[in-house]
Amino acid sequence: MERSWWWKAALYGFVTVVAVLYLIPTVVPEDKQPAFIQKHFQKRIQLGLDLQGGLHLVYEVNVDKAVAGKVDRLASDIEDRLHKDKGTNDLVVSREGRDDIVFTFKPPSDETKLDDAVLKDYRKTLDIVSRDATTGVVRLRLDPDQVEEVRDYALRQGIETIRGRVDKFGVSEPTIIKKGTDIIVELPGLKSADFERIKSIIGRTAQLEFKIVDDGSEYMRKVAASVPKNDKGGAGIDVVPESWTEKDSSKPHEDVTLRSKSRDTLMKFFDGLTGELALPPDHEIGYEETQGRNENGEATPDRYWRTYYMHKRAPLTGEYLSNADQTWDQQTGRPEVSFEFDRQGAAISERMTGDNIGRKMAILLDDKINSAPVIEGRIGARGRITLGGFGDPFALQQEAKDLVAVLRSGALPAPLRKTFETQVGPTMGRDSVDKAKISMYIGAAAVVAFMLIYYRLSGIIAIAAMILNMLYMIAILAAFEASLTLPGIAGLVLTIGMAVDANIIIYERIREELRLGKSVRTAVDSGFARAFWTVFDAHVTNFVAGVVLYSYGSGPIRGFAVTLLVGIVTNLFTSYWLSHWMFDGVVGRRGAARATLSI
Amino acid sequence: MPATNAHQKFVEIIKPGSNYEFIGRQKYWIGLSIVLVTLTAIMLPLNAYVFKSRGHMLNWGVDFRGGSEIVLEFSKPVEAGEIRKTLADAGFADADVVKYADPTGLKKWNYMIRVAAVSVVSEQQAKQIQESLAHEGNATLKRFEWSEGGDKVYLRYDKPVDPSSLANSLKAIGVNTNQVQTFGRADENTYEVTLVGLDTEIRRALDARLGEGAVAAIPSVESVGAKAGKQLQFDGARSLLYAILLIMVYIAFRFDLRYGPGTVVALLHDAVITVGAFAVTYKEFSLTTVAAVLTVIGYSMNDTIVVFDRIRENATRLRDRRFDRIVNQSINETLSRTLLTSATVLFVTLAMNWFGVGVIRDFAFALNIGVLVGTYSSIFIASPILIWLNDKYVISQKRQQSTGRNARRPRRDDDEPEV
Repeated sequence: MERSWWWKAALYGFVTVVAVLYLIPTVVPEDKQPAFIQKHFQKRIQLGLDLQGGLHLVYEVNVDKAVAGKVDRLASDIEDRLHKDKGTNDLVVSREGRDDIVFTFKPPSDETKLDDAVLKDYRKTLDIVSRDATTGVVRLRLDPDQVEEVRDYALRQGIETIRGRVDKFGVSEPTIIKKGTDIIVELPGLKSADFERIKSIIGRTAQLEFKIVDDGSEYMRKVAASVPKNDKGGAGIDVVPESWTEKDSSKPHEDVTLRSKSRDTLMKFFDGLTGELALPPDHEIGYEETQGRNENGEATPDRYWRTYYMHKRAPLTGEYLSNADQTWDQQTGRPEVSFEFDRQGAAISERMTGDNIGRKMAILLDDKINSAPVIEGRIGARGRITLGGFGDPFALQQEAKDLVAVLRSGALPAPLRKTFETQVGPTMGRDSVDKAKISMYIGAAAVVAFMLIYYRLSGIIAIAAMILNMLYMIAILAAFEASLTLPGIAGLVLTIGMAVDANIIIYERIREELRLGKSVRTAVDSGFARAFWTVFDAHVTNFVAGVVLYSYGSGPIRGFAVTLLVGIVTNLFTSYWLSHWMFDGVVGRRGAARATLSI
Repeated sequence: MPATNAHQKFVEIIKPGSNYEFIGRQKYWIGLSIVLVTLTAIMLPLNAYVFKSRGHMLNWGVDFRGGSEIVLEFSKPVEAGEIRKTLADAGFADADVVKYADPTGLKKWNYMIRVAAVSVVSEQQAKQIQESLAHEGNATLKRFEWSEGGDKVYLRYDKPVDPSSLANSLKAIGVNTNQVQTFGRADENTYEVTLVGLDTEIRRALDARLGEGAVAAIPSVESVGAKAGKQLQFDGARSLLYAILLIMVYIAFRFDLRYGPGTVVALLHDAVITVGAFAVTYKEFSLTTVAAVLTVIGYSMNDTIVVFDRIRENATRLRDRRFDRIVNQSINETLSRTLLTSATVLFVTLAMNWFGVGVIRDFAFALNIGVLVGTYSSIFIASPILIWLNDKYVISQKRQQSTGRNARRPRRDDDEPEV
């Protein structure tokens, strides 16, 4: 053998070993894998949604509605200002189209009241389109840049909100991506039983609410007395009294709350209450996840859910927020979220907190209490949310940032509309895999038999190349953590069929050369050389089709395109270079040039 | 012993030196293609306007047509007619009910139903809701928002309304809801109604008629809003166009301009006939089918290029031959490869067609047709067009020569008499 042959042998050997290493996590059960594999090669092929079962949803975000909403809010802000600062009472404000605010002043001369002093805060957001002193009509329009920003924000908002909700639901590997004004949600492995529930959770509107906790109530005392004791086979609910004093007046507050490891336990308990213990219609129970504390007041790793008995009406909601930012708690250094209300919100907040000093105010996000601080004084335009989360500061900061994203537009400003949905049950998926495997085996067997009959011993080289091709393909898919879909398997099967094409082209060439009377070694070399561009062109055109498929395709079709593309690349490698090397190994023994070749 | 003798025993399907006449008989083959393409062109409107049971040019899948496709697994034998009737009573008129290929081999009764609706509330029902909820307590409905395909309804009143009483009113007129809650600012009095999913509603209707637990499982649901369907149709057409353009650019770059049109006409021919096969059999034409057609295009290209590569090589080697003879010879030389590759790919796609389920099956069907037509078109469509273009090209070169330009042009293939 020539020296270069051995170098190639080392290279191909190395590539194959690496491929096998990447393949191990996918094919060997986790408990049987060697330790170093578990340490360095964890990537594996994921089963796509159609094979694993799961839910694929596409939501269209009504971004125009978000823009219109923004314009409405600006309109009422300015109206409010004119009313308070300028004493304008006879004024009609309306929105025309999506972007225009039209003010009609009476008398017309009042239009001068909409001056720079009023508009100075809106210089960037609103453009003055026209101003007519004779009719008293002023037309303002939302700046096009602002329109873009609002639209963009609404989309990102939607994604953030959906991600937060899906994460809370604990789906293993959700994919939530933006495509145009659509949001695509893929939830592989989701159980059929949860489909309906998660759809309603995703589609719900994110709502930030502030509610006053009704402490020291007769009702909670009665409820607490009815809770079965834990030591007598109770429901796992503890009664926890709590008390605090008002900062300024030192007036004491006492309350009882219920605590349990599970939120469901508490919810079931309250649902089961009837008659005298039934929840008053104007009140409701809120739940907060808290950290357990030992006798010394130190935090323990336990997590509990606790109840708040609070007024149902939320005088203040996220709709009145004008801004939110991620900041740091001055004392603890933990990330927190500070927010600001708009003028109307500030007025409501002042009244609401002023009337309830010493009580607790529950801050609810999507029906879950985020925190419930004691109101120590009148709160105006600003407030903050301390994150109730636990864990490392980085994760907390992320959480704070997500919260900022949600709060900045309050509740989802743009309604989501579901436009596409695919549900796949798990049995359907498993069955498809089995059937696809059968067709793969049969296809491969047919190709193997054919190559052996037609090309005899050289057929073995083609088969070896095909097997290595499969190995490399699957290893690359595993290294990219690609998800294997049903069409993806079809792509694999198809690659088996197409893989031998390059071999056939080359072998037919070699035969032609042999027929011309060339020696085996020359025939092999020139056969490979002359077939190269044919093989290359054929692969490139297929690759082009694959790229178009990938960029156009959605979901499963992408899976097909990915396997096709990977297969084309590895196939060129195995069926040309690797096969050439194998032929060299067979025919190229130094000194003893072979007279015949079984082809 | 000379090396030539040592290799006489190849297993061969086409003997070397065979010279089948392809080009001479091209008019018959082109005639056949024209018939097939015309058949496709006739079949599409026939499907749409003449065959009442079909009603569309192609059997568009839900992804193009919009609507919902639901696979139902029953726990006992059920007649398709009974399902259809139950669905009609539940407000889903014109439901397609098809026996679904039993995927597990166990004794189960599976049906696939296809309904035009995406949401449980039809346009008619939406009107009904709007009318019957116009007055809720002492509040008056100011705005009603509903969209086809949406699973939400928005109601705006002039005065606050109790969400739970809204839910009850909706239930009274037969609309089941998951949730009714306030939406937006409190002073806007807007309520968001989340409707129950279509599959849940259908299951409820069937269980009510056939007994509780009749629907054992719902293995799959797919629903697409009409607008999304249009978008997908557009995307599909666009992707085919891009694929063809890109391939043409590559051919022009790798070969020369004469080779481009033949390849493109051949692959269009293959794409059209594959679609035609779907028109005739009225198999479902879905997104996956588009993917299959794109694959067919790739395959067809692959095939044509192998033949063209040989033509190009022979054209430089055998300058003294007439071009159409070179083409015929090149086709013969590559014939065994063409047949062998097609055979192996066909093996595989047939296996996929026989053993595959659902999506794979239709996909494989498209490939079966595509492989057959693709093999045929590279010989009988692409090559004649290449010859025709070459003749045009050479004639124009000749004219240039006779007017004195380009006088030092190298000798062309047809300057010589036929060998």
